[in-house]
Amino acid sequence: MSALFEISDLRISFETKRGQLHAVRGVSLDVGKGESVGIVGESGSGKTVMSRASMGLLRGKRVIRSGSVKLEGVELLTMADNEIREYWGTRIAMVFQDPMTALNPVRRIGAQMNESLIKRLGMSKSEATKRSLELLELVKLAEPASQIKKYPHQLSGGMRQRVMIAMAIACGPEILFADEPTTALDVTVQAQVLDLLEDLRKELDMAMVIVTHDLGVVAGHTDKIAVMYAGEVVEFAPTRELFANTKMPYTEALMKSIPRLDRQKEKRIPVIPGRPPDPTEHNPGCSFAPRCQYAQQKCRDEHPTLEDAGGGHMYRCFFPIGGR
Amino acid sequence: MERKRTIGFYLATTWLALCAFMTVFGNMLPFRAYDDYDFDAIGVGLFSPHHILGTDFDGADMLAAIIHGTRMSMIISIVSVIGASLIGGALGILAAYRRGWVDAAISMYFNITLSIPTLILVLAMVAVFASPDPFDPSAGLPRSQVLVLSLTFVLIPVLGRLARSSALSWTGREFILVAQAMGLKRRQIMWTHLVPNVIPAMMSIGFLAAGIVIVVEGGLAILGVGTDPGQSWGSILAKNRGDLSIVPHTTLIPAACIALTVMSLNFFGDFFRSKIDGRESRI
Repeated sequence: MSALFEISDLRISFETKRGQLHAVRGVSLDVGKGESVGIVGESGSGKTVMSRASMGLLRGKRVIRSGSVKLEGVELLTMADNEIREYWGTRIAMVFQDPMTALNPVRRIGAQMNESLIKRLGMSKSEATKRSLELLELVKLAEPASQIKKYPHQLSGGMRQRVMIAMAIACGPEILFADEPTTALDVTVQAQVLDLLEDLRKELDMAMVIVTHDLGVVAGHTDKIAVMYAGEVVEFAPTRELFANTKMPYTEALMKSIPRLDRQKEKRIPVIPGRPPDPTEHNPGCSFAPRCQYAQQKCRDEHPTLEDAGGGHMYRCFFPIGGR
Repeated sequence: MERKRTIGFYLATTWLALCAFMTVFGNMLPFRAYDDYDFDAIGVGLFSPHHILGTDFDGADMLAAIIHGTRMSMIISIVSVIGASLIGGALGILAAYRRGWVDAAISMYFNITLSIPTLILVLAMVAVFASPDPFDPSAGLPRSQVLVLSLTFVLIPVLGRLARSSALSWTGREFILVAQAMGLKRRQIMWTHLVPNVIPAMMSIGFLAAGIVIVVEGGLAILGVGTDPGQSWGSILAKNRGDLSIVPHTTLIPAACIALTVMSLNFFGDFFRSKIDGRESRI
């Protein structure tokens, strides 16, 4: 089965005053039709840059891009501005992190929702309003008819994120990127929004990429998970396999640092010591080696390649947990 | 928090409404014509028979003169502020949204215009373009038109820079990126997302600018390059200022009108801004 969305050896760097900043260093990832993939990593691991770049949103002179991003075999990375614009919204869409700033404060919800329906799908105003109401119903927003007359500040964070999701799916995209869709929300609302995304994905047969720093968020809602560190995928596996048979020490460290209720009261949550590497520097060894408790001399000298453990499980480590 | 509507707000609104009324309907009111000089009552004081606000040394009725002057003062200030808001606003938003060389060119234009002293620029423009003789229109443009043009020219960079900085503060917001990711065109984003956010800031400054223009126009009249004598508050004041010691009301009344209007406009502008700031803080 050929994948719907193929990222291969994607590299993104930025020209800065301190030299080139390598945000994404050779990421390859396939997303099948209707599949749900989670991308997990801590701040600065390049996950947001990767998702924005693969959507083609990162353009400009200071962005150095290489590799390939294909949607149904069509290359998106080198596409001209006015060509890729035709893809945005209708074939590939994004839900952004912060619903507080992602809506225009001076325009009513209805006007903002209708905008893409009218301008992209050529609907009339009354058709668009009707469709907006349906969409808001689809994202389970209570009383859509009264909500579309409101301004963003009159809605709660969870409601706004639902509106954002409704806007993102408005033109029926084949693949939806959700960049930290629940980070700005309350824990109780987080679960609702994730369930909603999951339901919508199944209902609309849409592929989805959830970008998050929280393994817990993607655990129950994805088919596959890619763990990113320092701009690279360090482990990629089907969700169940990743949790059952963790290979990469970084993934293990991430899992250990999830707060749990059954942990002993007096014990501190184990954190990963140190901080992620400076993206402007080049390190010959494994990028996680300085923080890895299992690191050996080889890890500091050589850069590990992505190894296949079978069953779609890939990892980037010389000394994986549980052996090769 | 919205600012409470104080008594000052109502007074300012009332005065501005009165000015607006006189601007629109001033010459339909059953008063003496402003140029109908009463030679039997030259330089009479306030509350004299037939002349509630007295007359000046030409015998012009002060009430009629003031009502007539309102129109010119208000029109000059409103037209130049609206004109400058439209042109400056468009340039500023364009600069903020396009960035790059467009921004560089527009900003340079703003900065160059701002570096020329206002008064000297307006003096020069009146001297070059305006007709030296108010009764001979063929010699050049009427002074009032030249004033509007030059004041607009002076205001464009002031309002334009404001629009640019306001627009810049919005271009980085996520909803612009969202609109982009929905596949909207740059022009569509500019109109539907940037312009509505910049307009309130422009309006609050517009009120203040209108007040400043009235004062500047008065100052120009005193320098002898205002509107033709007796046509605006400033030129009434300029015309009668030699008689200040004998008939003080002829200069004090137009001066009071200018002061009241400017204060009202400032008050209104502040009120407007506090409303916007309040809304901004609730986002």
